[in-house]
Amino acid sequence: MAILTLKEIKKEFTKGEQKVFALRGVDLNIDKGEFLSIVGPSGSGKTTLLNIIGCLDTPTSGNIEYDGKVLGTLNEKALSQYRKENIGFIFQSYNLIPVLSVLENIELPMVIEKKMDQSEITEKAMDIIKAVGLESMAHRLPREISGGQEQRVAIARALVKNPIVVLADEPTANLDSTTAQEIIALMEKINQERQTTFVFSTHDPRMQEHAKRVIVLKDGAIADDERR
Amino acid sequence: MNMLIKIAFRNLLRHKWRTLLTGIVIAFGLWIYLFMDSVMSGLDRGSIDNMINLSTSAVKIHTAEFDKERESFPLNYGLTNIAALEKHLAGHERVKACAPRTQFLGELSNYEESMPVIGTIIEPKQDSMVFSLTEYLKGNYFSEHGVNEIILGKDLARDMNVAIGDNITLFALTKYESHNAEDFIVIGLFHTTDPTLNKSGAYITFKDANTFLDLENTVTELNVQLKRRINLDDLEQDMKQVRAYIDKQFPKLATYTFIELGAGVLELVKQKKAWGVGMTLVFLLIAAVGIVNSVLMSVYERVREVGVLRALGLEGREIVRMFMLEGTMIGFFGSFVGVLLGCITIFVLTTVGYPLDVIYKDMYVDTAGFPYWGTIYGEWNVPLIIGTFLFGIATAFLASIYPARKAATMSVIQAIRFF
Repeated sequence: MAILTLKEIKKEFTKGEQKVFALRGVDLNIDKGEFLSIVGPSGSGKTTLLNIIGCLDTPTSGNIEYDGKVLGTLNEKALSQYRKENIGFIFQSYNLIPVLSVLENIELPMVIEKKMDQSEITEKAMDIIKAVGLESMAHRLPREISGGQEQRVAIARALVKNPIVVLADEPTANLDSTTAQEIIALMEKINQERQTTFVFSTHDPRMQEHAKRVIVLKDGAIADDERR
Repeated sequence: MNMLIKIAFRNLLRHKWRTLLTGIVIAFGLWIYLFMDSVMSGLDRGSIDNMINLSTSAVKIHTAEFDKERESFPLNYGLTNIAALEKHLAGHERVKACAPRTQFLGELSNYEESMPVIGTIIEPKQDSMVFSLTEYLKGNYFSEHGVNEIILGKDLARDMNVAIGDNITLFALTKYESHNAEDFIVIGLFHTTDPTLNKSGAYITFKDANTFLDLENTVTELNVQLKRRINLDDLEQDMKQVRAYIDKQFPKLATYTFIELGAGVLELVKQKKAWGVGMTLVFLLIAAVGIVNSVLMSVYERVREVGVLRALGLEGREIVRMFMLEGTMIGFFGSFVGVLLGCITIFVLTTVGYPLDVIYKDMYVDTAGFPYWGTIYGEWNVPLIIGTFLFGIATAFLASIYPARKAATMSVIQAIRFF
């Protein structure tokens, strides 16, 4: 069953007096537990699509449904609330908060959500730190760990609230090949063990190899949808 | 909220030099203000006290006739009801003492050259209860049995080339407007805070003046000293009360308080205070620009961080709160240090003082139009200190609004450059 449904998603931008069509009516169903890669040349609309899936942007027209809930009609605040509760993000350049420790960075989404007390938050964060193999680094600052370890922290941060979907932007782009393999393996492991849905954009052929479904975007429309 | 405080605080530590410099600007502005206020208040109060204690007294009473011609110091309009006046004044709780005085114009000669003087005739014992001439005196004060003794200003004595123990001749018109001259022995020299008094002041007693000027104990002014008040406004209130008290019983007399006699000085005090406030506002404006700059820099450096926080669900108002916390923390730090330094400085000023006479040696210090000499003691103004502290924090708080709002209204997508 689809946990995420995009119906006729269109997005237009105005550049000066010119209209730019970033997405030209994208229809897409994503099922729970998918390990899905979005690929395509620069300007094909990958970023815009992921922004809309991540509730960071709203479509010009069309509907987006999460678990049957239509999000197209929600305002900015409601979208923010939905994002907070249901979506995890992994960024290309990790984007950890530099003044917070590894543990605090992972605790951050739960602290922002304000639904648990601190001991519960710390307990959950420590569980996920163990899952990504960083328990010995819990109290280090981001600048005191390697790039690969930072990306592990980012993955842990994205997973800590058991989101419906984890969106990852070029998660291996800044990593060396060995570390990139480790990160791909980690994401795959989490995907298999927890049935967490991953949607990631990538140019990395190694990542594409591991994807169970590859969406190819071209000029704002889906050119290919390959299931493996 | 704890997480926001943690992030804000750690970011300040992360950029400690920037935080320190911005805090120092605030601290410096507040410190200068508190220092200046304490010194200026002490200086103003010292100047006012000196004028009251040396020449004007707190309340001065003349006859109405004398008042009309007082520029020429006439000797024939004396107060006729001194005893009744003194008795009446003794009944007021704020009155400390009264002293009669009579002033006259004369000329002093050392047999080679002569100089004009403003003579003041006093009742030595009573006068020292009201005025503090003895505090500035070198040599002797008037003795009980002394005859034709005179006390001169130090500068006058220097110009006349006379010293303690020398004889000098005093010329003046008597009460009946005939010329008279008398030799006096210089028993003391005073060096007060009033350069005019030092250059042209001469004091003799009523006992000698009765013979010299046919004075017949004519008293042209009764000077009233009031009990000390720390607060100048309270002192002004006392003066008004005492004048009303005199006017009620003696409505025909001309009664003046220091509020009129020292109107120029009081006006200068107010103007200086306004300047002080103006200067502080300039300092705080500079500090505010510093805070805006500092928080804006922080915002621009952390665009991506703001984007991440927004993506993770932090709301715009929480972003505003986080950056405003940063700005306000700088303000708190700066205000705390500034007020602490201010309090230490005021403590030193109120206990040790600022010895003008030692620092400037024999130079007179003209403090914006009225003289001061000796040691300036600072004054504590607790409400002002608290107000300054809160004002520093409020300035920082207000200065943080703009950059904080800027951070909160950033486009999440642009901030994060997510995909």
